[in-house]
Amino acid sequence: MAVLQKRLFCSAVPKKWPVKQVTKTNFPESLEEIKRHISSSDFVAVSLQKTGSFSAPWHRLLPFDTADTAYSKAKSSAERFQLFQFALCPFSLENSKLVAHPYNYLLYPRDELKLGMPSYSFSCQSSHLTSMAREGFDFNACIYHGISYLSREQETAAKIRIGNPSPSTLVVDSSFAPSVADSIFMERLKSRVIRWKSACQKPKDSRNEVLMNSLRKLIMGSEYYGSRPSINLDVCSERQVQLVLEVLREFSDELVPLLIPAKSGGTQAVRVVLASSKEDKEFFEEELRCREEEENKKFRGFREVIDLISASQKPVVSYNSLTDFTFIHSKFLAPLPPTIDEFASSLRPVFPHVLDVSHLMKVVRPLRKVANIPVAISYLNNHFFAPVDIEISHQATENEGRNHGLNVIRICHLFAKLCSILKIGSSSTMSGNDVLLAPALEECTNVFNAFSTSSEESIDEDISVWTESTRKVSCEHLVFLWGFGSGTTAGKLKSLLNKSHYVSSKEFDIRLVDKSCAILVFWQPGLAETFLDVMNNSEEITGSLRELVSEGLRAASYETYKRVCKLPIWEADLGESLDRALEDSDCLTEAHSKATPKEIYWSNDDMINLDEL
Amino acid sequence: MNRHRPTAAALSRALSRAFSASASAAEPSSASASSFPQKLVTRSNFEAALAELRRHVRAADFVAVDLEMSGVTSAPWRESLGFDRSDVLYLKVKHSAEKFAVIQFGVCPFRWDSSKQTFVAYPHNFYIFPRQELPTIDRSSYEFIWQTGSIDFLARYQFDFNACIREEMLSVCEFEPNWVISGISYLSRRQEDEALRRLNSGDEDESSATCYNSKDAGDIPLVAMADILFSERMKNRLSEWHDWLLQPRNREFQFQGSSNDSKQKFQTLFFMMWPAVNLIGFTSHQLRLIQLVVRKNFKDLTYVHVKGDNVFSQHLVVYTDSKDDRDLLIKEVNNEHRKRAEKKIQAAVGFRHVVDLLSSERKLIVGHNCFLDIAHVYNKFIGPLPSTAEEFVSSVSKYFPHIIDTKILLNTHQVLRQRMKKSKTSLSSAFTLLCPHISLSFAALESYVKVEVEVDDLRSSSWNSGAKHDAGYDAFMTGCIFAQACGYIGIDFKLHSPSESLAENEKLQKHINLLYLSWTNADIIDLTNGNKVTASVEYSQKKRYSNVVFENVVLIWGFPSELKARHIRECFSKTFGVTSVTFVYQMDPTAVFVQFSKTKLVSDFLSLMETLEKNNDPISVLHPLSELLKGGNTRAATYETYKQICGTPISKVLFADQAEAFGAKRKTDFVESSKTAMDTQEDKNPVSENSVFVDLLSAPWGEKAAQAASNYAGKTKPGMIDNLENDSFHGCLSGDEILNSVYAAEETQLVRTS
Repeated sequence: MAVLQKRLFCSAVPKKWPVKQVTKTNFPESLEEIKRHISSSDFVAVSLQKTGSFSAPWHRLLPFDTADTAYSKAKSSAERFQLFQFALCPFSLENSKLVAHPYNYLLYPRDELKLGMPSYSFSCQSSHLTSMAREGFDFNACIYHGISYLSREQETAAKIRIGNPSPSTLVVDSSFAPSVADSIFMERLKSRVIRWKSACQKPKDSRNEVLMNSLRKLIMGSEYYGSRPSINLDVCSERQVQLVLEVLREFSDELVPLLIPAKSGGTQAVRVVLASSKEDKEFFEEELRCREEEENKKFRGFREVIDLISASQKPVVSYNSLTDFTFIHSKFLAPLPPTIDEFASSLRPVFPHVLDVSHLMKVVRPLRKVANIPVAISYLNNHFFAPVDIEISHQATENEGRNHGLNVIRICHLFAKLCSILKIGSSSTMSGNDVLLAPALEECTNVFNAFSTSSEESIDEDISVWTESTRKVSCEHLVFLWGFGSGTTAGKLKSLLNKSHYVSSKEFDIRLVDKSCAILVFWQPGLAETFLDVMNNSEEITGSLRELVSEGLRAASYETYKRVCKLPIWEADLGESLDRALEDSDCLTEAHSKATPKEIYWSNDDMINLDEL
Repeated sequence: MNRHRPTAAALSRALSRAFSASASAAEPSSASASSFPQKLVTRSNFEAALAELRRHVRAADFVAVDLEMSGVTSAPWRESLGFDRSDVLYLKVKHSAEKFAVIQFGVCPFRWDSSKQTFVAYPHNFYIFPRQELPTIDRSSYEFIWQTGSIDFLARYQFDFNACIREEMLSVCEFEPNWVISGISYLSRRQEDEALRRLNSGDEDESSATCYNSKDAGDIPLVAMADILFSERMKNRLSEWHDWLLQPRNREFQFQGSSNDSKQKFQTLFFMMWPAVNLIGFTSHQLRLIQLVVRKNFKDLTYVHVKGDNVFSQHLVVYTDSKDDRDLLIKEVNNEHRKRAEKKIQAAVGFRHVVDLLSSERKLIVGHNCFLDIAHVYNKFIGPLPSTAEEFVSSVSKYFPHIIDTKILLNTHQVLRQRMKKSKTSLSSAFTLLCPHISLSFAALESYVKVEVEVDDLRSSSWNSGAKHDAGYDAFMTGCIFAQACGYIGIDFKLHSPSESLAENEKLQKHINLLYLSWTNADIIDLTNGNKVTASVEYSQKKRYSNVVFENVVLIWGFPSELKARHIRECFSKTFGVTSVTFVYQMDPTAVFVQFSKTKLVSDFLSLMETLEKNNDPISVLHPLSELLKGGNTRAATYETYKQICGTPISKVLFADQAEAFGAKRKTDFVESSKTAMDTQEDKNPVSENSVFVDLLSAPWGEKAAQAASNYAGKTKPGMIDNLENDSFHGCLSGDEILNSVYAAEETQLVRTS
């Protein structure tokens, strides 16, 4: 394979970084190749093209979100939207050389098995579709040639629905003690099997063969499984399956039991296949394994690639890991669990190391506010000397049309630059089979775990990174304000509140979250509570605040916001959602336990940058 | 998930005639006919096509329409069920129209050409796409659902998905094609009104031109040394320019600043009629500083920002003589801004011009099973759908006074019903049956109404677009069916004078403005008064569930997934007796409808369920209903709650998830709310906890309880248990079926008791 090299000192992204485009047609043959690349690389970068992100400004991840609320938001978007492209790039870093093998998979949730899977329907945002269209995304190619998939959970369900027999994996319990009823059942079964077996093994009488066969079929339920005779033993419970397997153990030289799943789960029957000899039995078992492998490929589709990454246990590099991995979990593993802790523990065995580039970027202070990858790369190019050689293993193929999935190379590139600038990892720690992550990378690994366990240490570390303009604020010091009518600015609100004399301007700060709602942060403990008390006991209110409340101003604590995200109530305006959460709260008061106060970071930017995501 | 239940298939077929109409029809394609071109309209040729269409619609006798959507149901349980009440049906249609996008809109005006004694049809196929053109509109209108099944269906007919989103424009300078958006976008009347209202109230933030003369220009304190120096320099430069302006005219028109390097940034020009400096090449931060300088230091200079389309945006400092002059400038700028904004809104109206045209011309609109289509038209181009069917139809009739549905016509008109001979009334089969002279280019018999199709000056007397399934062709077929149907019911177009409107024709009066609320239920709604008409007797054989008593229906969801309709029926038979339940219908894997034989049983069941959940003693554990309640997630509610759940905008695939998202409350709330609805009954029959249990112990389920109890105590009776398990196993084979007879359950009961 010819190697194409490009030396990059300037920020301009070269027009042709060839990314291998994979569709349904070339998917099967690309599998071996990607498998090789994954196992020879140190990292795997991923980048997803989604059909939508969030439906209202406040639905995106905001700086004041805790891990829980951030997860709720990511979950709701991952559940509704779909992936159209999955770009994947196994890569290795050696000094300043980046060896990358970029692939771009075109996905479409086609119902290949006619089971209503993987997805009955999905949402799209026209803004996402139009921006894809501008980049020349081919929707016909996606719908006609996109690769389908099933999540792990859907695969299990599909196998049951299809009802193909599978070799028994049940191990007979050693502490197995048959009751009287069991013994009767087993005896009956055994005699039936023996009768059937001897009938099958009788020297063939060619004259009556056909007749005998049909008689056998009629009387004993004897059939053929391929070329081998078989018999179906109906079972009614998993216990009976055990009993059947126990009986069959005696004949293990010749008989192969297959379990036929029931539509409602569990096992419907045990199919016993008679092999002519021990060798034949082994041959048959091999045949079954091959068939199952084929079947699995058909079921899994693109998920095969996800399983390959998972099996390699290589660290996965993503730009925004919470968003990406909620999508990956819901599309390829199983439906998303309700809490971030369950999510993290469900994801950990599958992807033990998830590196978040946007998190890593925050280490380089000026990059904190940069929200897009090309800008970040060009900033690093202009301010640091960290040349990265990119070596891409594919040949550019001119006739393939558009080169999609470039973003994944940009992620690799940015990651390589950051590693080089931050002096993370020499080649020795990065390569090798067991991945030893440099300590600096640990910080951006599995960020969703880190934040959710909220160990004191990690928080302390973070604050040293964020310095000056960031202050640590407890959620208890935050108050949401809404109902102030449209067109109000944070400044106006601040001066209005200041005039009310309940709070002085030095003690708080205020920003608009969306046009309907503002967030208020108090710098001293207890003030938020006092403020809420004043707001909620209207009799005591006087002066301009009374006027504001009469005009419809409302306030709620951070707990209410948490409830909004947890329930969730995704109205277009946050004010609307908070109102609804308060309406429901009466019947829920007993439900929300006193949670440990979470701390978040409050940065002193003029406005919460709503374009951040 | 059970997309392949026969009923479901039939339902979705009925609902989405647009998608499935010609699925079953084998249409032999004739080469000459199928090569006839389609009139495709995208953004690039929309203006021209609209002008042409205006002409054709004005001259037309009727206009046939058809829509292709991105899907019909967002979840299996949203499909219209045979026994849905009409208000629930409307909510389902409403949800569908709100959540899915229209991607193709077929419009086909038909004009009677008396000289040639033939109809002339002008099919148009518009690709439309809900692209957000104005930033102020609520984002939710620009999010829509794709139903994978519908896309698969369209894909089978080689639908061009790219065409509704993008098209290629070869740009001059580059090799790579430049993609532009091809789908025509639109604004509904409501959205347009909203945008104009915002414009008038001035509270929109994306003003395209602004005068910064007031204090709102963002106070940035000058702290950084660089900012102070820059401001000072700008102040000098501006005052230089100011002085130069006021000097007696010298020959040199262009202002030459003192420093050369920044010359290109200061360019004198006229803004309307005022001299101005065009600020080019400054960063937004620098512009903000200049703004500050102008405000603080120059009374006769005004900072103006003109936001143009795309990249064209001007920042200017304008000179005015006096305060009046300045006020005039501000007025002019605001006017200009307003005009521009209005123009932008006008441009954003886009495809709605076509709908406005159909509405304003008050022509007879012809559709085929078009209730959903009309709901889409209303939601996309008029405004949010009203919450009830009655309000909806009364609004619709304001915009479209004459609508006729060919499916209703074919099914209700005596003459046509005989002619159809009970064959299918799907669009394409009706077309092949009624108009073979068009679809198969048969020699036209005397009884056939002739139709010629005209696209861009090409004419043909037959048109068969073969496998291609699109809105333009479907609209054409609908129109042809209607023309032929009129011929059969005795409307003679040859005698028909152009002044006479078809909509007023008395032969059509009985059939006009009637739509199928749902084809499956054969529920017809009258657009003129909102009355629901039940279909004629011969047709009511479709109504399998005509005897549903909604007060007796309970909805149960969240039960263990291995339980199927049959098991649930057994649970109830054992609890309340074999005749207690008239049907159990599995809506989706997580939910069932249960209809009790008596209304009282609804409240009995709901309160019993509550008691069982509270108690955890052996009696509750062994109760036959406990099987249903296993797992602790089982909820139940009345049909009214079901209606409320259907009305929510959330779209979850599984009903249990939807109900949970809707409720976001404790399970008891459901039971409670249902209970209040049942209050009257309960008052008459007070059920104390104890009496319930005594009652139940003597009920037919006693036997199983006894067995289970002995099992519990470790004394198993092998044969019996075997039997039971076998029995319950049988049930899951037919789990998905609708069990609308009690016989099966009764049989097993008899076996057991004997």
